Amino acid sequence: MKVIELHESATASNDRDADQLRSDLRKEGVLLINLMSSPGSGKTTLLSRTITDLKGRSRIAVLEADIDSAVDAERIVSLGAESVQVHTDGMCHMDAGMTRTGLEAMNLKETDIAFLENVGNLICPAEFDTGAGRNVMILSVPEGDDKPLKYPLMFQKSDALVISKMDALPYFSFDFDKCRERVLRLNPAIRIFTVSAKTGDGMHEWEEWLLQEAAAWKEGN
Amino acid sequence: MIDILETRERVEADNDRRAEEVRSSLKAQKVFLVNLMSSPGAGKTTTLKRTIAALKDRYRIGVMEADVDSAVDAETIAALGVKVIQLHTGGACHMDADMTERGLQGLGTEGLDLVFLENVGNLVCPAEFDVGAAVRVMILSVPEGDDKPLKYPLMFRVSDCLLVNKIDAAEIFDFSLEKCTERARTLNPDIRVIPLSAATGENFEAWISWLQARVEEWRRSL
Repeated sequence: MKVIELHESATASNDRDADQLRSDLRKEGVLLINLMSSPGSGKTTLLSRTITDLKGRSRIAVLEADIDSAVDAERIVSLGAESVQVHTDGMCHMDAGMTRTGLEAMNLKETDIAFLENVGNLICPAEFDTGAGRNVMILSVPEGDDKPLKYPLMFQKSDALVISKMDALPYFSFDFDKCRERVLRLNPAIRIFTVSAKTGDGMHEWEEWLLQEAAAWKEGN
Repeated sequence: MIDILETRERVEADNDRRAEEVRSSLKAQKVFLVNLMSSPGAGKTTTLKRTIAALKDRYRIGVMEADVDSAVDAETIAALGVKVIQLHTGGACHMDADMTERGLQGLGTEGLDLVFLENVGNLVCPAEFDVGAAVRVMILSVPEGDDKPLKYPLMFRVSDCLLVNKIDAAEIFDFSLEKCTERARTLNPDIRVIPLSAATGENFEAWISWLQARVEEWRRSL
C-alpha cells in the first residue's frame, strides 16, 4: 500500500535540493563554503583579505546574500574577484534553492572556492542546508564568549569557527579558553582559527586550511 | 475556485491583532513594555544592567530574557534583585505577541511599572513582529559597523530609539557615527540616536532621560 507523508516539511525538500546542489558542485570541482555569522562580525573583511592573500593560489568567487544593499558585492568586485549580490526579499537566511539561483548567475568555470556570504544572523541560517561542501562560522571578539551557550545550533553545524577581531581583545572581556571549551562541548570536531583580518594575524592558518579543504574536495572528500 | 491562503500575511495580521491586545492590556495595568532588540553580542544585557541600576529606585522593574537556549542573561539580571524570567523560544528566531503574552503571565506584571523584553539576538526577524510594546529600542554596537542600516533597514525603520553602543572602543574600529546616524535617519526621520557605552557609562544619562521622558509621557496619556 502506498503511504503519502503529508506532513513532509519544507526542510525535507530543502535537504534534497541541497544534496543535489552539492553533488553538482562536486562534479564541477567547486568547493562551496557557506559563511555565517552575526551582522558585523567581519564576513566581508575576512573574505576580502583571503581573496587578496590567495591571489594566484586559489580562484575565489563570492555570492553575497543580504536583505538589501550591494555594498558587500561591490567590495569583492573591487578586488577583481567574481561576485554576485542576491537580495533575499526580507528573508533571514539562504536555502538551497536560493543558493542555486545565485550560483547560476555566476561564472564558476574558473573557480576553485565559492563562498556564500549568508545573511548576518546566528539563528536561521544554521537550520538550512545550502548545499555547501563546508560550513564556516565567524564569531567576533566583541560579541562575547557566551555565544555558544545562546546559539548552540550554529556551532554544531559548522566545520570551522573563525574567531575574528582578535586585535580588539584588550578592549573586551572575552575569555578565549572558556569560549573554546563551550564550542568543543557542542562540536568536538570543529576547527577553530583565531584571526585579525585587520592586522593579518592568524590569516595564514585559516588560508592553508582553505586550500587543503579545496584540494580534498576536488579529490572527492 | 481554489482557496488560496496567504500564510505569511495571515500570520502577520494575526500577530498585529494580538499585539494590540497585549498593548491595551498593559495600558490597563499601567505597565510600560520596552522591546529591546539587537544583533547577538551588541550589549543588550549590559545595557539593561546599567538601566536597571539607574531606574530601580524610581520604577518597579521586570525583565523577560528571550533566548534560543541558556539562562545566563536571566541569571545576570536576577543578581540585581529585580523580577526576571528566562524564555526559551524553542529555536525560534524572534518573539511574537503570543509568546510575549505568555512571558508576561509567567513573569507576573502585578505591581510592576516598567518591563523590558530582551528579544532574541537577531537584526532581522524580531523587526517583523510587533510584540505589543510601548516603545521599540534597538542597539547597534560600534564593532558591527556603520553600514548596518543599509543591510537591515526594517529594524531601523521600526525602532523609536537607536543606542549606538561600545563607543569606548571607537578608536580601534572604522565607525562613522555621522554616517550611521544619517543612514538611520534616511530610513526613519523620527528615530532618536544616542551614542553611549554601557560598559563605562559614557553618555548613559542621555538614554535614561529619553526613556524616563517616554514613560512619563505615556503615563500622562493614560
